[in-house]
Amino acid sequence: MVKKDRAGIMPATQQPGIGKTLLLCLPMILITAIMLSQGQLPSDPSRVTAFLAAFIFINAIFFLMIRTGETDRWRAILFVTYAVCFVISFITHLIESRGSMAISQANMIEGLTPFCHIVIPMTLVPAALTKTIIFPGTIVGTKTAIASMFVLWIGSSLALGRGFCSWFCFFGGLDEGFSRLFKKARIKKIDLRWTYLPYAVLLLIVLVSAVSLAPFYCQWLCPFKTVTEYPEITSVKTALQAVIFISLFIALVMVLPALTKRRMQCGLFCPMGAFQSFTNKINVFEIRIDPGKCIQCKQCIATCPTFSMTEDTLAEGKTGMTCVKCGKCIDACRQNAISYHIKGTPLTGGKEEIYRRLFIYPAFIFLATMSGGYVQDAIAKTIKLFTTGNIF
Amino acid sequence: MKPDGFILGLSTGTACIATCAPILIPYLLGEGKGILGNYGTLGRFLLGRLFGYLLFAVLAWTVGSAILQEPVRRSLIIGMAYILFSGLLIVYGFFKKAGASCKGDCDQVRFRRLSAIRPSWLPVAAGFATALSFCPPFLLAFTGAADQAGLAMSLLFFFSFFLGTSLWLILVPFIGAFRRFAVLQTVGKMAAGSMGIYYLYTGSLLLTGGLKLW
Repeated sequence: MVKKDRAGIMPATQQPGIGKTLLLCLPMILITAIMLSQGQLPSDPSRVTAFLAAFIFINAIFFLMIRTGETDRWRAILFVTYAVCFVISFITHLIESRGSMAISQANMIEGLTPFCHIVIPMTLVPAALTKTIIFPGTIVGTKTAIASMFVLWIGSSLALGRGFCSWFCFFGGLDEGFSRLFKKARIKKIDLRWTYLPYAVLLLIVLVSAVSLAPFYCQWLCPFKTVTEYPEITSVKTALQAVIFISLFIALVMVLPALTKRRMQCGLFCPMGAFQSFTNKINVFEIRIDPGKCIQCKQCIATCPTFSMTEDTLAEGKTGMTCVKCGKCIDACRQNAISYHIKGTPLTGGKEEIYRRLFIYPAFIFLATMSGGYVQDAIAKTIKLFTTGNIF
Repeated sequence: MKPDGFILGLSTGTACIATCAPILIPYLLGEGKGILGNYGTLGRFLLGRLFGYLLFAVLAWTVGSAILQEPVRRSLIIGMAYILFSGLLIVYGFFKKAGASCKGDCDQVRFRRLSAIRPSWLPVAAGFATALSFCPPFLLAFTGAADQAGLAMSLLFFFSFFLGTSLWLILVPFIGAFRRFAVLQTVGKMAAGSMGIYYLYTGSLLLTGGLKLW
């Protein structure tokens, strides 16, 4: 039985050599080169620098994932960077094109609101009943159009299940970043009853949106409006909405994750996460615990960021349906008892690393595809800010 | 249909299913009928519930028309009632442990005693009895009905509430699908609690409107 060393890293003898690692990384190097350059190198020097920096950074992360056998440690770095870069890129783009982060009624009527995946559960019932998408955005034509997001969501859900929340979602990294601020959790005891709250929020928003034919979550409950765009404040109602957005962001995305070291917004509030949990049922990848290796240290329960590992699930030898497949429990398990697994295959057989690679290739392609553009754009804008004093 | 009543009913519906199903299912199993037969029993149960709700709609309208004629007083009383009952709904949804629900053990014991007799009107009586449960969602529905302009609107409000809660019960004859009642109950109660926050907002608007704060 191969155990990890004290730092949770695979022993050097078990790691692939540099040559083999590079060979395993080659497909990703080619894919990211094509994807980040979109077929041609930019002419602007700051954009060339940004392209090279993003390309090297993303591939270095993948290289380390393959070489060390650790998933979450490296994924988290790119995932958090992606979220921060998304915010920088998105906000600067809004200010550049509209002059403000606020979206006016006129912008909404013109269909200029970018579509975000969290709206998806709210649109399904009205779309089925009225053949209308209840969102003030465009159906096709841009990267943030409704059809593009639906296609990406369906593809990533089939490939990753709820792994979507750790490898795709541009908001999840903010929550995760704050959850990693401190070394130790200040709040450790959390009533697991609250893990049902996302389902309640999902139920509520689906029902209210279906009856009111408006995206209720976006109007009243989305914490991420604070760092993206929010309705122009023109009345007491819109002011109250802004207060709710900011309060939820501070509480669920900043303070509580920092104090608990968990992804509180993702684990205890996000309705899209709850909705996405059902896709874990159709996805071929899962996380399994080998009872023969498990010594019941419960380190996995303590580290799981979305409360998907409990004593009950541990006894069943798998994670709960809310598992985001981040790999944190796998990295934390010194006994190597937890691994990525393909449903229907035997648990033992020494194929854990093959299953892991089969999962992280598609997962990383999604992460690199989603993050690449934003990371490049944020780097280019930062360079511009430092060289010209103007970010736009 | 009144959207407010319908949404309130829908959001609390899974809590209703989780509490009504333990009453209904033993009866349905005891009857030993097929799915169609079970729907017949469920239909009678729902008829009793509807009758109970409509009676309360009349009562709510009577209260509303008798003491809530003057607009400012109406805003104040209805606003305060909304705040009080939505507060109760929030506590019920988020802070009361599962199992201590509005239609909990007492109803089940009562029904078990009645089911020994098992006449054909029993489901109607049981439906009527469960309609008379003064749980926070029901009290909020009562306040909403009292706030309506006329008797027809009050009846429509409670009818919409009934429809919202009943949609979930339609699934009960497929008994096997609802093994995890406790989970459903927790989710339903939390959804109801979230709905309570909306009503708290509505009540605050009414109250501040009555007090002319803005």
